[in-house]
This record gives sequence, C-alpha cells and structure tokens, in this order.
Amino acid sequence: MTTLSNHVPDPRLITAYSEHREGPLHRVNPWTKVGVVGALVLAVTVVESLPVLAGLYAATLVVYGIAGLPYRRLGYWYTLPLLFVVSVAGPLAFLEPGVPIGGALTTPIGELSVTWAGASLFGELTCRSLTVVTFALTATMTTRYADIAYLLGRLLPRPIDQVALLTYRFTFVMIETLEDLVKGVLARGASLSEFWANRRIYARILGMTLLTAIERSERLVKSMEARGYDGDITLYGDVPRPPAREVVAVVACYAGIVAYTLVVAYQVIPV
Amino acid sequence: MAHIHLGEGSFPLWALVLWTTLGVALVGAVVYRIRKGGIKTHQIALAGIGAAASFAIFQLNIPVWGGIHMNLTGLVGILAGPLLGALIALVVNIFSAALGHGAVGLLGANTLVNASEAIVAYYAFRTLLRMDWDIFPAGASAATLGLSAGAILMGAIIVISGVNGSALPRGDLTIAVAGLVGLNLGVAVIEGILTGFVVQFLASVRPDLVGLVDRTTSEESAGVTA
Repeated sequence: MTTLSNHVPDPRLITAYSEHREGPLHRVNPWTKVGVVGALVLAVTVVESLPVLAGLYAATLVVYGIAGLPYRRLGYWYTLPLLFVVSVAGPLAFLEPGVPIGGALTTPIGELSVTWAGASLFGELTCRSLTVVTFALTATMTTRYADIAYLLGRLLPRPIDQVALLTYRFTFVMIETLEDLVKGVLARGASLSEFWANRRIYARILGMTLLTAIERSERLVKSMEARGYDGDITLYGDVPRPPAREVVAVVACYAGIVAYTLVVAYQVIPV
Repeated sequence: MAHIHLGEGSFPLWALVLWTTLGVALVGAVVYRIRKGGIKTHQIALAGIGAAASFAIFQLNIPVWGGIHMNLTGLVGILAGPLLGALIALVVNIFSAALGHGAVGLLGANTLVNASEAIVAYYAFRTLLRMDWDIFPAGASAATLGLSAGAILMGAIIVISGVNGSALPRGDLTIAVAGLVGLNLGVAVIEGILTGFVVQFLASVRPDLVGLVDRTTSEESAGVTA
C-alpha cells in the first residue's frame, strides 16, 4: 500500500522534537549549529583517511544520542543517503584498481571483484555522507521553528528568503493536504499498490495537491496585500549572537580542519 | 528518485568550489532578472507554496522498482516558469539538505541539476504547445526532456569532478556513472508520463495554469480544498 514514507524525514516529527523536547543541544545557539554544519562539510571533503572519517561519524552519532534523539528513526532516514552512496560507490567498489578481496568471480565480461581500495572507498563515502546527514538532522531536530525561520530570513537574499519562509510555513499544510488526499482515495476503495494500473489516480492526487497549493497561494496573495505586504515578511523572533565559548569552539573546529588540510591532506606545510 | 542528490563529500574541494560558484552565478542571474522585472506578490506566494508542494510530494512513496520518490521539478518548471522554477529548485534543495536528504556542500551542483530540469521542461512545453501538440504528450515529453537533461548534467558533473578518494581513470568512472544516468533516464520517463497526466488534469480544471487561456480571464477559483 502506498503511504507517506517512513524512510523520508517527516518535517512535522522533526519540528515536534525541536519544540517539545529539551536536551543539551536544544540550548546550543542556532548560529553555532550552522557553523558546525559548515565545518563538517569542509572536514568530510578534505579528510581522506577512513579511520578519521569513521571517528567523525562516530562523534556525530554520539552527539545525536546526547541530544536525546531516536536512533531507530535515524536508521530509517539513512535509507536514501545510503542509496545514493551505493549508487555511486557500489560500481566503483568493483572498478577500483587494487588487490581483490577473496579472489575474483569470472563472468562473460571478465573477472569481477571488490578490491580493498574499492571497499575502503565505499566506507569513506558512507562515513562522509552519514556524518553530515546525522548532524544536519541533529541540528534541525534541536532548533525551534521560529529560530530556523529567523536564520532563513537572515542567510538568504531577497526574494529567496521570502520564498523559503513561505515554503517552511506551508510545508506542514501541504503534507497534511497530501495525506488527506491519499486517505480519501483509499477510503473510497482505491488501491495504490501498483503504479501503472493507478497512474490516473496518482496524477489526480498530485494534481489536486498542486491545485490546492496554487489556490491557497492565490488566497494568500489577497491576505498579504490586505496587510500591506511590501516584499518583506516581518519576523518578530531574534537569534542572539552565540556565547564566547561556542564561538571559540567553532573557530577551533575550522582552525583544526585548515591545519589538517595544509599539513596532512595537501602537505603544503611539511612536518 | 527522479533526480539525484549527490552524497556529501563525494567531490574534491576544487569541484565543490566550482559547482558552488556556478550555482551562485545561476541563482544570482535569476534573482537579478526577477528584481529587475519587479516581482509580484502572487509570484512570491506561488513560488513559496509551490516549493512546499514539491517538497511534500517527495514524501509520497510511488510503487515502482521497490519505491521511488519524485519532486516533480519538470511540472514545477511548466507551472511556475524558468525563473521561479530555478528558485523553487534551490529552496527545495535547501530544505532537503536540512533534513539529511542531499548534500549541504553540493547545494550548488544540485541546484544546477534541478534548475536545468525546470528550465528545459518549461521551454520544451511551450515549444510543443506552439507546435499544436495535445496537452498530455506535450507535458509528458517536456517533463521527460527536462528530467533527462538533469540526469545527463548530473552524470557530467560527477565525471568532471571525479570521486573523492577514487583512483579510477575518467573513462572507467564514466562507465560506472553511465549506469546511474541510465537508471535516472528510466525514472525520467515514468515521472514524465505522470507529469503528462497531472498537466492534463490541471488543464481540465484550470486551463489558465498551463497557459491555455489568459490568466486574467479565469478569475473563478476551482474551490479546491483538502
């Protein structure tokens, strides 16, 4: 049966965790979390050692746990990131030159084997991807809705910030609309278990979702203009600057990564 | 998936800088064009809620090959146009990356891929309508073309960048990526057909949305509610 996926993170659940839970990460300044995400992206890009990458991944998993977030859900949410890793690194694991693991399998197109280098590459790409995925989810699940809206408003140029703020606000509405439409067709006896036989029902569900979105946007225009919208959705919240100790921690992260890049990755500074 | 979000850290640093620069240049050009032309309130609202709908639709599991997810970027391009379509692609990528789907560092590359889908689909749809094609084949073909362009661009980006930590020559990498692109082209056809049906449905209830009649002549709402 087709339903909304449990292996795609549900923004409503994520927002519920950020609004109704209280863990150590909830008290960290949102700007600090943005800084750490940037540092992790840089780190997984420049680090080429599997043990270091595995260590980074383990550290983010520990942080996720300390924040009091659910590991089982995380397992479901890994499905898509892992699919992308497999789709790129899977073929590479077989093609990468090197010593085969446990011999080669003879096929009509030649010998097929996973090499140690291929397996290592697979492990590296998995750790790189999951490290940032885990921390991004940790950050969104521990940052309040109003704070995320404030960050979007400050980080993005106009009119992208306006579009992003409306998207954030209406994502929850549109998911509920889609869910209601799916429930509606199932209640009327439709089966969505096969795509091709039900292609018109799928088209109707998706079309109705878009139509609802467009009609809602038309009503929204009237209310925005009635309130004197002049290209700026006013945000009343405020995210203060991070405290000194958090700034020092983020700066230390970046300094460590730059040092690693110069000394180990690119060997610009010989040791 | 009808478009691929490349994994975080897949590319070397120079490639990350290159695709981010190109992505920023594309978005900068779009923002410049929009600001120069003067953006209307209804365009902001349409882009915002259109992105929300695209993001919501991704939550639906389509039972093909064990389950695929679609953002309908081709359809978004057809409905919102190339400029707003590119902005919607960026915003959907930002929200996807924040939820762990897609790469924060590859927002530039992913935006290039998705924006190309929306832009190609829009111009293909307009061209086919001018050639007197019916709504369904025009919508299906335009979306398939747009998504195929995105899939090929995605493959090209991977081959040009190389994979971080891989010693594979570009020729062998091209072979490895060809399978991925082929799979995406297959999904593009499925999403294209679905888009054709959706466009046909929308044309039957709100022909102004797909440019079949002047938007100002269709003032009555279809009264759609959830």
